[in-house]
Amino acid sequence: MRSLLRTLLTATAGLALCAASASAQGAARITGRVTSDNGAPLPLASVSIPSLGIGAYTDDGGLYSIQVPGARVPSGSVAVTVRRVGYSPKTVQVTLAAGGSVEQDFVLTTLPNVLSGVVVTALGVQMEKSQLGTAQQQVSSGVLNSTHDANVVNELAGKVAGVTITGSGTQGGSSNITIRGSNSIGGNNTPLFIVDGVPVSTADRGGSVNGAYDFGSAINDLNPDDIASVTVLKGPNAAALYGSRAANGVILITTKTGSASGGKVNTSYTSSYSFDTPSITPTFQNLYGQGAGGQFSFVDGQGGGIQDGNDQSFGPRLDGRIIDQFTCPTGCPWVAHPNNVSSFFQTGGTFDNNLSFSGGTDRASARVSVGTDDSKGYIPNNSFQKFSAALSGQLQVSSRLSTSASLNYINNQALNRPGTGYNVGILEGLYVWFGRQVDMNALRHEFYQPNGSLYNWNYNYHNNPFWIQYDNPEHDVRNRMIGNVSATYKLTDWLDVTARTGSDIYNYNQSQEWAGGNLNFADPAYSGAFAFQQTGWNENNSEVLATLRKTMNSHLAVNVIAGANRRFSQYNYTSQSTAGISVPWIYNVSNAAITPTLNQNIQNLQVNSAYGSASFTWDDWWTVEGTARNDWSSTLPRGHNSYFYPSVNTSLVLTNMIPSLKSSFLSYFKLRGSVAQVGADASPYQLATTYSGSSAKFSGLPLYSISSTISNPTLKPEITQSGEAGVELGLFDDRASLDMSYYRKATRNQIINLTLAPTTGFANKSINAGKIVNAGFEAQLNVTPIQTNNFQWNATFNYSTNANKVVSLYPGLTTIVLNSSWYQNVEARVGQPYGTLFGYTFLRDSATHKLITLNGLPQIGPRKVLGNVNPLWIGSWNNEFKYKRWTLSGLLDYHVGGSIFSVTNMFGQYTGVLASTIKGREVDWNKPGVVVQGIDGNTGQPNTVNRTAEDYYQSLFAINEAFIYSATYLKLRELRLGYDLTPNQAHRFWAQSVNIAFVGRNLLASKKIPNVDPEFAYASSTAGLGMEFANLPNTLSWGFNVRIVP
Amino acid sequence: MKHPSKTLVVAGFALLVGATACNNENITNVNRNPNAPTSAPAGAVFTQAAANAVGRYLGTGVLDLRGTEWTSQQLSEVQYPDEDRYARLQASSTTGTFNAAYTAELENLKKVVAQGQSAGQPGVWGPAAVMQTWAFGYMTDVWGDIPFTAALTGDSVGGSLTPAYDAQKDIYTSFFKTLSAVSSALASDPSTDPGLGSADPIYGGSISSWEKFANSLHLRDAMRIVNVDPATASAEIKAALSAPGGVFASNADNATFAWPGDGVFNNPWANNFSTRDDHRMSQTLMNIMLGLNDPRIPIYAQPTVADPTKYAGMPNGLDASTAGTYFNTASRPGAIFYPGATAYGFYGGAGKTYPSNIMTYAEVAFTQAEAAERGLGGLTASQAPGFYNAGITASMNQWGVTDPVAIATYLAQPAVAYQGGAAGLTQIATQKWLALYSDGTNAWAEWRRTCVPSTVKAGPAAIINYVPRRFEYSTTELSTNAANVNAAIARQGPDNFGSRMYWDTKPTAAPTYVNATACAGS
Repeated sequence: MRSLLRTLLTATAGLALCAASASAQGAARITGRVTSDNGAPLPLASVSIPSLGIGAYTDDGGLYSIQVPGARVPSGSVAVTVRRVGYSPKTVQVTLAAGGSVEQDFVLTTLPNVLSGVVVTALGVQMEKSQLGTAQQQVSSGVLNSTHDANVVNELAGKVAGVTITGSGTQGGSSNITIRGSNSIGGNNTPLFIVDGVPVSTADRGGSVNGAYDFGSAINDLNPDDIASVTVLKGPNAAALYGSRAANGVILITTKTGSASGGKVNTSYTSSYSFDTPSITPTFQNLYGQGAGGQFSFVDGQGGGIQDGNDQSFGPRLDGRIIDQFTCPTGCPWVAHPNNVSSFFQTGGTFDNNLSFSGGTDRASARVSVGTDDSKGYIPNNSFQKFSAALSGQLQVSSRLSTSASLNYINNQALNRPGTGYNVGILEGLYVWFGRQVDMNALRHEFYQPNGSLYNWNYNYHNNPFWIQYDNPEHDVRNRMIGNVSATYKLTDWLDVTARTGSDIYNYNQSQEWAGGNLNFADPAYSGAFAFQQTGWNENNSEVLATLRKTMNSHLAVNVIAGANRRFSQYNYTSQSTAGISVPWIYNVSNAAITPTLNQNIQNLQVNSAYGSASFTWDDWWTVEGTARNDWSSTLPRGHNSYFYPSVNTSLVLTNMIPSLKSSFLSYFKLRGSVAQVGADASPYQLATTYSGSSAKFSGLPLYSISSTISNPTLKPEITQSGEAGVELGLFDDRASLDMSYYRKATRNQIINLTLAPTTGFANKSINAGKIVNAGFEAQLNVTPIQTNNFQWNATFNYSTNANKVVSLYPGLTTIVLNSSWYQNVEARVGQPYGTLFGYTFLRDSATHKLITLNGLPQIGPRKVLGNVNPLWIGSWNNEFKYKRWTLSGLLDYHVGGSIFSVTNMFGQYTGVLASTIKGREVDWNKPGVVVQGIDGNTGQPNTVNRTAEDYYQSLFAINEAFIYSATYLKLRELRLGYDLTPNQAHRFWAQSVNIAFVGRNLLASKKIPNVDPEFAYASSTAGLGMEFANLPNTLSWGFNVRIVP
Repeated sequence: MKHPSKTLVVAGFALLVGATACNNENITNVNRNPNAPTSAPAGAVFTQAAANAVGRYLGTGVLDLRGTEWTSQQLSEVQYPDEDRYARLQASSTTGTFNAAYTAELENLKKVVAQGQSAGQPGVWGPAAVMQTWAFGYMTDVWGDIPFTAALTGDSVGGSLTPAYDAQKDIYTSFFKTLSAVSSALASDPSTDPGLGSADPIYGGSISSWEKFANSLHLRDAMRIVNVDPATASAEIKAALSAPGGVFASNADNATFAWPGDGVFNNPWANNFSTRDDHRMSQTLMNIMLGLNDPRIPIYAQPTVADPTKYAGMPNGLDASTAGTYFNTASRPGAIFYPGATAYGFYGGAGKTYPSNIMTYAEVAFTQAEAAERGLGGLTASQAPGFYNAGITASMNQWGVTDPVAIATYLAQPAVAYQGGAAGLTQIATQKWLALYSDGTNAWAEWRRTCVPSTVKAGPAAIINYVPRRFEYSTTELSTNAANVNAAIARQGPDNFGSRMYWDTKPTAAPTYVNATACAGS
């Protein structure tokens, strides 16, 4: 099979060399504009002459142009059909004349039915949806950008069935995205993103529950306003042509382009401003201040006074008594500052502007755009700025040769990215430790005492939060270019060859500066500390692709593609850090007082691929397609680095096959099915165990030590086998459409970093073993319950459920720990779903399941499975109401099930800051106390021992079970109220059309977990799941949006 | 052809892509790791492993400052006293240290031994084998039966991924063999052997020094099994003393680790003290020293904040709020360990470069004194006072007490002057325990073996009512090597703080043993 494929490829290349071109003399032309029933131009509509097999797509302005070669101009009229997703197709008879030109405009009416029309599939090939045997879903620019978010992944939330998205807390943070569940234990579960045929980096520099900055994912760079459409290939079946990158599905992004406009310039300007605040904050108690045992008196904030080194809030009652405090060392009233934490937040703002120009002639077109995104965070001195510019152009060099190129430049800059977890997270000190009597305003402006030393409420464990934001900044800048150049040569009417090369190149610089006295990062003997990191990335893909489309006879149409690709990527990382600098405020390697730690990591990877597909469509109702890809990977062992990935799919449109099935109830009925096998590569350099050097020298002596991971010279790629079946129904005269899929996929040969017995001398060994199975169901329902001349109501439901199970790992191995923090593991455990929460339980009586207490306190019991991170099902409900020129739309996003281990709640109870810790000290700090309902472990009798609230809440620490919560939530994700000005009104603004809208994101949330947002992602990888610690909550934003077409 | 040049461009590009895409034989060259080699110089591996080992056994983790300093009761915990109550000395807290010891220094030292042996260079493998034996000694003395013979072979052909646990008795037998082999190999070190040279941060490649260290360690290990197997102990003591090169004879022979103090490699105690103010002198240690007017007090400890004319210890194992009351009334550890500027004030100054004591002449002298008093290894009781006085003097000098008058005054006190017999053995054990300050695990082992000082008792808020005899096994081992861990548990006793070491199974055989309650196990 492989050699057959290679022969086919060679033959294709040969054809490219010797093909002759035909003449274009005496051609006939049809041009025109496609608009929707509300007058808006419709880009990406397919305009075709089915009898001739010729067609084109409309541009941004809805314009199209079709050229019919003179030799093929038919006598008499010919049918011209226009199709577009979401609209009723329309056919018009047109009479052509050789050498002549005809103008034909189309107005399409909106349809909720999204089952027909042209869609983008793997490798960017466009296809009739009816012929598709796999599941994919397309999101248009308008739906994507309904309300503005700078992060394209956040914008997809709730819009595609089967896609799980966990939004970032704040601008620039990470979002987690998976399609149909997690496949890989140790590897990546993020889909492949492809922009205009070029794979782009989704590199994750996320945070961790243990403390790190969340630098976001590289995919956040894309400017959503430059995107024409997003197509989600849901899993291995639809994505099979991507071979070793197909396991997690593919997200194909098509950017906007220019098109023939008769030389006229189409201009578009959009602007939006939103006000941003945290959506969810904890509820604190305000009865007791800092201290322990009901006592507190400040001397040095380090233990020199009475409990003044103590940073908990089990101190004296906040009743106005006079106590020495950091703001008043000789005493002042001891009162609560109920808003001390909330006053740390401010109203942030995001200002977003996009300007684009496009246009062209019949032979050349171009689009140029610039976009800016300027966010001020809801925490002090936090900002995020993005500037992007895009240029794309097409040139029809001759009737046979067409070329195109696109270039995106992106610059983004962040100041004080959200830190996550212990020590780094800015909210960690505020949410779980901040003494309830602490005056936030005292810390806001005074960072230093008159003697120059730092000013704070506690000097043992905490930094002044404002001082952190202003004098200990984190900066980062990424400069990025994504571009491609392609040429297509039409060998004959039914065969063309495309060559394309494209790269995603960026460099990314981060700096973290810590001023002298920073308790977490700076050695107290020096004047500060720093950590710098630089990342360089370049992935190039060069491809040749031959496409054959031929109608063999009146019944059979054949579509064959064959291609080859060479992928090469280079990653270059360097870092410099030190815990001590000499001169304050100079964060430069030359100012390091301690020899800086230097790191360098280079990773090169190459994958060569050959692939092809052939599809056969019989009479417009039955399509069978087979695809095949072979990858040769540099990261696999010599001689064993070639892997073959096949797939087969079919679609059957029953309403076309048996026209009598059609009725006013059932307008469309399609069945589809597919099986596929795809893979996931190994990372570079996993084949040989190496020694790691150290940039630090021991008194000048070099240092080396052997890697703690045993490499595997016989590594194989992970293999995913997937089957899916689907039904697509058009109902009630196409007023409703239903698209349902069932799938089952199994991933084996998992590349696992097996945890070894450490007494082997090694911590891990890289192996291929284990199997994960995902099975699920997804459905998408579009309904137009009301459609009148002036009023239309469209509703869209997305539903998906995925059952995930770790079937096997390695013989004798029952679990792999994916992430661990505060005695809580997130694991891949045999027989359980991927992402099982495993931690310490309450000690219970085995017969009655009552708690066993000792001296009145609950005890830590054995570790058990406490839940898992996967939702039972997720759903969304989008409603759009159109009344004349008004449009109101709202998106509800619902996640049901799944568990979270909340460290915020655990520490918040340990420290007594949360409102829930008042129980037991309603009367006084130690009264009435807490009598735990349980059985005394010594006597076997019901517990009667009364303990203080302080003892009780602190005894819960490390009992993970007490802090596992349901992740269920319902969010009003998007709300938009828009108005299209009438042409007359628009003219007053010197514009053709103007749309103004009120927009809001995350406006309302209903949830089960107390005090924190159940939706959090501090990394786009697995590490970001299941455990929460004082993450920045999702941004609640509302504002205005203006779109002007001058 | 109408546009041959353009066709050519397309075709040429197609061929280019095709040509590279089909060249799949050499693609693996792309996978050649530019970041790290597959072999490294033995010296560089030794230096790193030595720094790791000293940092671990004489460092800030559970095998010293945050663990065995409490079980030996030389220090107490004044803030967040969980470890001092043994609450954070359970398996979940000690697993990381156990695991890292094997994957860091023990595995790397094995690599150095292998490289040196295949090159026929005792000057390379000998020191690595001594360091490995020194490190394994701490490991087995804390956990008992541990993987030894089959350990550290995960990456070798036929190596075990589930190493069996060796009985501690057999591990000690192997120690003796290894150290004898090192000693004799170094004695006939070929002149062609370049040795470790400057890559050896302990002795700078001095072969004779490593001979003495090997023999001194041999002496320590031999004495440790004396209660349970006095015959072997005696024979091995004799072997150690008569091996080529002999044992340490003065402080000049001490195995010490000089920290550069460059901010990257600091003395671990100074590193810890720069940000944490949790440590105070234990009352157990301080009361003995105060009772003997010990001139080392101002070196081991600092005056209290509350009364700068006073030195005081605090009890071990208190609850948090009681412990907090000693914040200003108990002595911090000595200024020599402090780095100067800390997060809570200025203390000491030169702590970052203070050398760690891997093994000292004082310990060797006290061990010889004990052997002499007990008539082991060919020594006789008459030699005991000499070794005893030499040990005290060496310890004083080592810690910076050089005034001969002060030392003579100390030695002349009735409680210090050597009394011989069982009383003498208690004096030897007391002085050895005092001298082992800052070597928590070793001091803890000496207390378990001798029951001296008898004032070591679990604190009032401790989670168990006895002082631990061992730590619990690694939870990673329990999940990845369960059968072997369980076999060790079946052999050794329950996996808790109370099960005793092989060498600790006959406590009453110690002539210094006081009574069951004073040295109680579980």
